[in-house]
Amino acid sequence: MFHRPATFAKALAIKADLGGRVTPLAGGTDLIVGLNRGTSLGEEVLDLSGVADYGDIDTENGSLLLRGGVTFARLARLDIRCLADAARSVGGPQIRNRGTIAGNLATASPAGDGSAALLALDAEVEISHATRGARWIKLADYFLEYRKTALGDDELISRIRIPAPDALEATAWYKIGKRGAVNISVVCAAAARWPDGRLCLAFGSVAPVPMRATETERLIGTGPLTEELIHQAAQCAMTEVRPIDDWRASADYRRAMCGVLTRRLLRAVRADSEGKG
Amino acid sequence: MAWHLECTINGSAVERDVPEDVTLLSFLRDHLGLTGTKGACLEGECGSCTVLLDDEPACSCLVLAAQVHGRRVTTVEGLAHGDRLATVQEKFVETGAAQCGYCTPGLLMAAKALLERNPDAGEQELRVALEGNICRCTGYASIVEAVQLAAREGNP
Amino acid sequence: MSRTPRIDAPPSPTPYTEHEHPVVGHSCRRLDGAEITTGAIRYGADLFPGQAELFAAVVRSDQAHARVVSIDTSAARAMDGVVGVYTHSDVGGTNRHGLIRRDHPALAEDRVRYLGDAVALVVATSERVVSQAIRAVKVEYEPLPVIGDIDAALAEGAYPLYPGGNVMGGKRIRKGDTDAALARADVVVTETFHTQTVDHAFLDLEAGVARYEPSGDPPDGGLTIQVSGQWVHEERRLIALALGVEPEHIRIIQPATGGAFGGREDISIQIYLGLAALKHPGKTVALRYDRAESMRARHKRHAIRVEYTVGAKSDGTLTAAKVTVWSDEGAYASTGLAVMRKASSHATGPYRVPNVSVDVYGVHTNNNPTGAMRGFGACQMAIACGGMIDRLAAKLGMDRLELRRKNLIRAGDDVATGQRIPVATVVECLEAAMARFRQKGEPTQPAEPHLRRGYGMSAICFGLGYGDGFPDCARARVAFGDDGKATVYTGGVDVGQGLINTMAQIAADELGLELSQVRVVSADTMLTPESGSSSATRQTYFSGNAVRMAAEEVKEQLLDVAGRHLSVHPHEIEIAEGCARVAADPDRRISLADLVAEGRRRGYSLDARTLFKPRTVCEDFDTGQSPKAFVTYLFGAHVAQVLVDIETGEVKVERHVACHDVGKAINPKAVEGQICGGVAQGIGMALMEEVVTREGRILNANFTDYILPTIHDVPKVECLILENDDPGGPFGARGIGEPPLIGAVPAVLGAIYDAIGVAPSTLPCNPERVWRMIRDAGGGI
Repeated sequence: MFHRPATFAKALAIKADLGGRVTPLAGGTDLIVGLNRGTSLGEEVLDLSGVADYGDIDTENGSLLLRGGVTFARLARLDIRCLADAARSVGGPQIRNRGTIAGNLATASPAGDGSAALLALDAEVEISHATRGARWIKLADYFLEYRKTALGDDELISRIRIPAPDALEATAWYKIGKRGAVNISVVCAAAARWPDGRLCLAFGSVAPVPMRATETERLIGTGPLTEELIHQAAQCAMTEVRPIDDWRASADYRRAMCGVLTRRLLRAVRADSEGKG
Repeated sequence: MAWHLECTINGSAVERDVPEDVTLLSFLRDHLGLTGTKGACLEGECGSCTVLLDDEPACSCLVLAAQVHGRRVTTVEGLAHGDRLATVQEKFVETGAAQCGYCTPGLLMAAKALLERNPDAGEQELRVALEGNICRCTGYASIVEAVQLAAREGNP
Repeated sequence: MSRTPRIDAPPSPTPYTEHEHPVVGHSCRRLDGAEITTGAIRYGADLFPGQAELFAAVVRSDQAHARVVSIDTSAARAMDGVVGVYTHSDVGGTNRHGLIRRDHPALAEDRVRYLGDAVALVVATSERVVSQAIRAVKVEYEPLPVIGDIDAALAEGAYPLYPGGNVMGGKRIRKGDTDAALARADVVVTETFHTQTVDHAFLDLEAGVARYEPSGDPPDGGLTIQVSGQWVHEERRLIALALGVEPEHIRIIQPATGGAFGGREDISIQIYLGLAALKHPGKTVALRYDRAESMRARHKRHAIRVEYTVGAKSDGTLTAAKVTVWSDEGAYASTGLAVMRKASSHATGPYRVPNVSVDVYGVHTNNNPTGAMRGFGACQMAIACGGMIDRLAAKLGMDRLELRRKNLIRAGDDVATGQRIPVATVVECLEAAMARFRQKGEPTQPAEPHLRRGYGMSAICFGLGYGDGFPDCARARVAFGDDGKATVYTGGVDVGQGLINTMAQIAADELGLELSQVRVVSADTMLTPESGSSSATRQTYFSGNAVRMAAEEVKEQLLDVAGRHLSVHPHEIEIAEGCARVAADPDRRISLADLVAEGRRRGYSLDARTLFKPRTVCEDFDTGQSPKAFVTYLFGAHVAQVLVDIETGEVKVERHVACHDVGKAINPKAVEGQICGGVAQGIGMALMEEVVTREGRILNANFTDYILPTIHDVPKVECLILENDDPGGPFGARGIGEPPLIGAVPAVLGAIYDAIGVAPSTLPCNPERVWRMIRDAGGGI
């Protein structure tokens, strides 16, 4: 059965009713690849692309609220550099026009570009249930293990909150792929810095889940980003990540790139902060 | 199960029952006989199947037909004005941008979306607009040239 | 300089000086341009709607190497909508195909040799059912040891894949005394290169339809198959043998074809479609692969290992090359033996090397068969040879360009096979490419400390056609219709390169017609004469000559008729502007339509068929020497500039200059298209493309993981076309298909070497590999 609700409330009701038996479908850029390879979508499909306001963006008390259906094309036009750059690095325009942020988070690919950028932005996810209501969860706590998340079978991702984006001092994004565009990241990384000096650093494709480099963040602290500190941070990031060998890249390379990217991002963030100061 | 689909394709209202798990690509080709839209990778990597959904390029291989309910779909068959080629089509022929031609319909749609949105796009923006379309024959130079020429003449 | 005295600046080859051509040499619009851009043109899968009544699909082995114990088709047969399940015992003929050896079972007999091997064929009333039904065919296998690569195949005690062992064949060249020359050389450089397995990745997947009408021959009866290949007549022979049907009973029609690049040379789906159609007479059967099946089933470009030693005098004069090549031939022969021959004859490229020793060995594995792909062995050897020149220059402390200038062949020099090259323009190509490159000044280093810029160059040659004594010919027919228009019939297939335009332009020019007055019928075994394959960069030369000759013959008839009609000697007649007229008195004329009618009345056929069949000479078995291994040679040179991120290993090609001597560009735009496209594929091979296999299993049989160059990866190629007329080519034309790819890869690799100071020896140079090269060289910069 194909469900195409016009409102999010209806979508939640269907999800609560059918639970794991219904497959939520948004842009389809992931699920329909599976369908084309011969994996059935399941008997029940919940199409969210007809939900009227699921692609809206609002602000609330200085936070940015992205509804789950916001596409990468829309994210690419935001004034938050690491997120916009990450979104621009996803697929080609055809994919960015369809792929959604909720889809990216629900799929929970360790290589999810949007996930890494949102992690660095200290984002939170709103998970909703038809009767239990909504709960907010830190994105860092949302990813549990490889392709497993805190999202329940009877829930949907309703919104993503980016706290105080206007207050951000600087953000930066870097992705290593194997060609000029339309890449699955070999390693990707995002960094964001707030006025109090707090710095967030996140990586994709170097662990079973997109990850915050919390030890490295602690090491960096809130002080000035000296070259020495940047160097130490790079070393720390390389030990903190948990990459694997696969045929796309070796763990060695991915680890080394975390060092390189940490240096680049921190220098970029420093340059931008100084520019603002 | 079938879904009762109502949408607009190349300006004409279409009303059909479609199986729920049929992609837009398959619907266009196998159900409507609109074979101008091509499939080549079926995973959104090559752009051969690009159509416009409400003027925005999308991979028709990754959209279910049922998902375009109430929307406008434009395919390569909807580009020409009767017997007269649209400017962008004309330029593709003129510059040699169509070699084997298999990627051409998808590229034309991606190019049309750009030309409608920003005919003054610089080369970098143009390349970004076409980055989701793989061409295995031309090395892209003639394609860039074709779209630039079409932009110059306006009226994609 | 101690070489034989010679005139160092050879006389510049005579430019073609015939009258200015009205059609040839012009970038005429593609005749199929409107059809392509409106989506009206029909490729294989576009024939399904409205035609397909039954759908076939192939059951593939899930073992890389195994004995087939049993095949249970009962569950599949019992499914609703399944109308037939077939195995090898249902095939009426030899059940074998293969362009050189008929060693590849269409449907597995007692053994599967790679994961793409076909085991059974299912036919059903819908694609949905057939795709489910293939999973219901139960095959019991007894696994056999899997040979995953060349080393495993050659290992002591390796499981013999064939009774003769794992070495499929070989080829050698012995010219001069290489060992003695190396012993005397002032400098010796040795390197081992590894090139990767590459997929053709044409976008238009294998797809087509077939129908069988038991009574009569085509067009009314017989077996009609519409599938894109590269040589319709050979495909007909192979299908006939495999299925046990008379060739005359089979008609092959080529639909529009979305690229080939050698990937359609081997039989793909034709035999399956033919079998299904024979079993279900009166029904149109359709079959198509998806990307994964296409990549798993099809042959690939050979992965090879080249052990290369080159010797030179201290002044840079090359004295010897000793080359050993090991190629992964995969499970079946495909065109591997010919690829090996082409590799050996191109081992030293366009360089003057008096002492050459080459040994090429093809080794069977349980990987996909490897065969034809643009470049065909010459491409891998250009990587090795060009890489050696760069290394030698570094070792000698000599400029790379100077070293090339010193050693590149001039007119009258010979190549590795001993064939003397009468018109050798590789130096001209290199000079032109370098001059263009330097117009923008020498590249400067970027300010960012982690970025390095470099440039590299290549100089290449390519022997055109099959060569090596293999029968190589093209036929053509040109006939006038009553409307005064000419029709060209060629068996050659247009795979997207523009063969139809090339042939039409040649015929129009020869006949004095406008391009719009010429129609081309191509690649239909019932309607067109055999023209050989669209491969080996041969169609412009071979079919171009055949078409020109046929047009010439028809034109002579027209002139005779016009001469009689206008009461002048035929030599005084010219054909132009849609009529035949007296050259000196253009008002005395007759329109072509009237002339055709007049000709018919006088009993002229106005219809000519020709055969163009220049001979080549087999390379000597022991020495590989031949006075004419190839009908002619093509030359080219590239210069590439790259920017390397030395911390991440990312490489961006910033500029690419490509110069090719094509003899005569029949359609310059089409030639540029071939050059730019070849460069793009070369960049793909140099930097990113690689079929990754483990124990015979392809890990990246899709476009998410088998990555192709995007529009950001290919700079605007700066094309330079030289036209030094080939004495035997139509209007002096040679060809262009393969050389651009061959030239592109070594230029990019040379640029990486220049940028980072470490010479690449393993492809592709993806970010991690470049990073490792730098790291292993101890920073290296």
